[in-house]
Amino acid sequence: MGGAAFNEQLSLLPNYLAHHLLLTIVALGLGIVFCLPLAIVVTRVKKLQWPVLTVASVLQTIPGIALLALMVPLLSTIGFLPALAALFLYSLLPILRNTVTGILGIDSSLRQAAIGLGMTDRQLLTRVELPLALPVVVAGIRTSAVWVVGTATLSTPVGATSLGNYIFSGLQTQNMAAVLIGCIAAALLAIVLDQFIRMIEKAVSSRKRGRSIVISSAMLLLVLVGISPLFAGNDNSTQSKIVIGSKPFTEQYILAELIAEELEQAGYSTDIRPSMGSTILYDAIKMSEVDVYVDYSGTLWANIMKRDDIIPRDRMLDTLAAWLAENDSITCLGALGFENTYALACRQSLAESLGLKSIDDLAKVSGHLKIGSDYEFFSRPEWAALVAAYNLHFAEQLTFDPTLMYAAIRENKVDVISAYSTDGRIVDYNLAVLADPRQALPPYDAVLLLSRRAAANSRLKDALGKLVGAISDEAMREANKVVDVDGGSVKKAAQRLRDELPGNK
Amino acid sequence: MLFGSGRFCQPNRFKHTQLIDLQHITVSYPGRSAAVKDLSLRIDKGELLAIVGESGSGKTSTLKVINRLIEPASGSVLIDGIDSTSLDQVELRRSIGYVFQEIGLFPHLTIEENIGLVPTLLNWPRERIKARVNELLGLVGLNESDIGERYPAQLSGGQQQRVGLARALAARPNLLLMDEPLGALDPLTRETLQTELVSIHLQLGLTTVMVTHDIVEAVLMADRIGVMRDGVLLSVGSASELLNQVEDDYVRSLMSKPKEQADRIEDILGKAGKDRN
Repeated sequence: MGGAAFNEQLSLLPNYLAHHLLLTIVALGLGIVFCLPLAIVVTRVKKLQWPVLTVASVLQTIPGIALLALMVPLLSTIGFLPALAALFLYSLLPILRNTVTGILGIDSSLRQAAIGLGMTDRQLLTRVELPLALPVVVAGIRTSAVWVVGTATLSTPVGATSLGNYIFSGLQTQNMAAVLIGCIAAALLAIVLDQFIRMIEKAVSSRKRGRSIVISSAMLLLVLVGISPLFAGNDNSTQSKIVIGSKPFTEQYILAELIAEELEQAGYSTDIRPSMGSTILYDAIKMSEVDVYVDYSGTLWANIMKRDDIIPRDRMLDTLAAWLAENDSITCLGALGFENTYALACRQSLAESLGLKSIDDLAKVSGHLKIGSDYEFFSRPEWAALVAAYNLHFAEQLTFDPTLMYAAIRENKVDVISAYSTDGRIVDYNLAVLADPRQALPPYDAVLLLSRRAAANSRLKDALGKLVGAISDEAMREANKVVDVDGGSVKKAAQRLRDELPGNK
Repeated sequence: MLFGSGRFCQPNRFKHTQLIDLQHITVSYPGRSAAVKDLSLRIDKGELLAIVGESGSGKTSTLKVINRLIEPASGSVLIDGIDSTSLDQVELRRSIGYVFQEIGLFPHLTIEENIGLVPTLLNWPRERIKARVNELLGLVGLNESDIGERYPAQLSGGQQQRVGLARALAARPNLLLMDEPLGALDPLTRETLQTELVSIHLQLGLTTVMVTHDIVEAVLMADRIGVMRDGVLLSVGSASELLNQVEDDYVRSLMSKPKEQADRIEDILGKAGKDRN
């Protein structure tokens, strides 16, 4: 990893950190404001204790990423709001439980003494219960703060920028510098927040008013500095930005960058929401929260249209476009030209020596060969369709992490793999992709989708129309290789793809 | 000089204006038999009354009924002739000094703040509270200069109990309720404090009701003793009255305990003295 690439990643930090900090602080603040009164009520109305704490516990058992994803359809929007809502819900339990436990845990003789000396219920609360419960309450807030900082990294898939942007894209593009920056920044943020809250508590409980004010002000100042990038350079906010979505893998990052560059050249300002969840992205374009992104015909066919039949490529595209327009008012501007499907691939040398050109050829010798695949392929309908169509029987089936799968075929551990047809490593590792004459694998044409809002803009459609049919399998594979094999940046790969566009040669 | 059997010989010293009149008090907790059963008791102004009984006899419940920490299921409490339920509960409590069995000092407040608590609740001016706290520290014998700024955990058990007493007296109550005030103290501290409590009681002209399970303590300190068992007030009277004039076996055997113990101790010590000779 070169210093330049590292610096390029580091330059993203102020923006990511600002978004992350804002999300965290607002969610935590709302959590505290909501929980403290609720917890106090719960300590006085014992009947509420069980239901309230149970609801908070159940919320906590929902995996963070699922809770975030659930908020998108519930709030019918993506980005800051659903992320905030999910993080707020996530912050509740520790604050609520600790406040209730803290207050109820106070020695009953002290409560008795307070009442016996003539304190009103309010005085009992403010003079005895809250000060004595403070350390436990603050411990809850600190736990909550650390959880929220950590969980906020998962808000990237719902379209909210966070330090998770580093982690999601870094893991997918094997950019360990990005992953590290993301993790370290999140960890530091958690530690700093935690320590500030601890110091405020210490100052408050030792009743040093001056010190409490100084520390609180320092924390406030730091937060303001942290989120200041959000307010800088936003002068052109009057012009609404074109929002470009991407799924969490290399090819999608490159295409989003390419689309952004094309639109910027046409005079639009853009906003890329990387690493979004597949169905969240589809919902977002349906609601015009995202204006443009690239999906794949086979995915839409199976996951959105719920079809399990396989029809020829061009008919599928037509059917798909009509269905999307009619049902969800989404415009399919056209296919980009390349296909990213599962494909069976073997080493070039093996293909030559055995004379393998298609999966039909492979079926004759499959009994002597080993096949490797990613985590999900053997359980997907595509694999069942392949086995049925070609009568495949391999000597051994092995499952790998995608990266290790490529390593396995290079090192002769397996003979055939289920590659992704646009993967740059197919070129790099000298692999031969076997043809699928029986069309057992559904087509996965990359298609450019536009929201209703974007489709109403003919100049924008013209600017993107340039990309339709303009990217070949080969070009996409080379661009992916720039990132996945050569360790280049997404920008560089997008530039390369752009240079290859028919109009730019 | 501060206490002693001599006091029991001059009961007419008191004006005998009744301050508290408990009338047919019954206290019951859900799911248990009544803690206090039809208890009637008059407490005179200026007297020190001890309520004695085993744990569970209902003595603490009786004490708590007086400042309405417990509301009786039936019966009424008259304070200076006024039904206590017609008084504001919070104000009533602030006007009565209460020394708790567990002491109950607030660990997050300094000694000064603990003692000045009720005056603070009553919105006394700061200087007046400060002056009152200093006066009380002297009264209860806490004379170390910086003790006011310390926290309860930094004090010994005996010191804490003195602070508890000072806190109870802070707003100049006429009535002082004490629940096992010396329960957890070592014998020497206990004896010193017994003496001082009576002294303060006399000095301030208080009416004091003290709950204790220790009959010796009751005999040594109180003008009158009420004996309770299973929620019933068996009898009330001076120590000698209880010993000589009461028919109840339990009361008589309880009242004869201090004398028996004293005799046995004398025996043992006498023997030891002889052995040494």
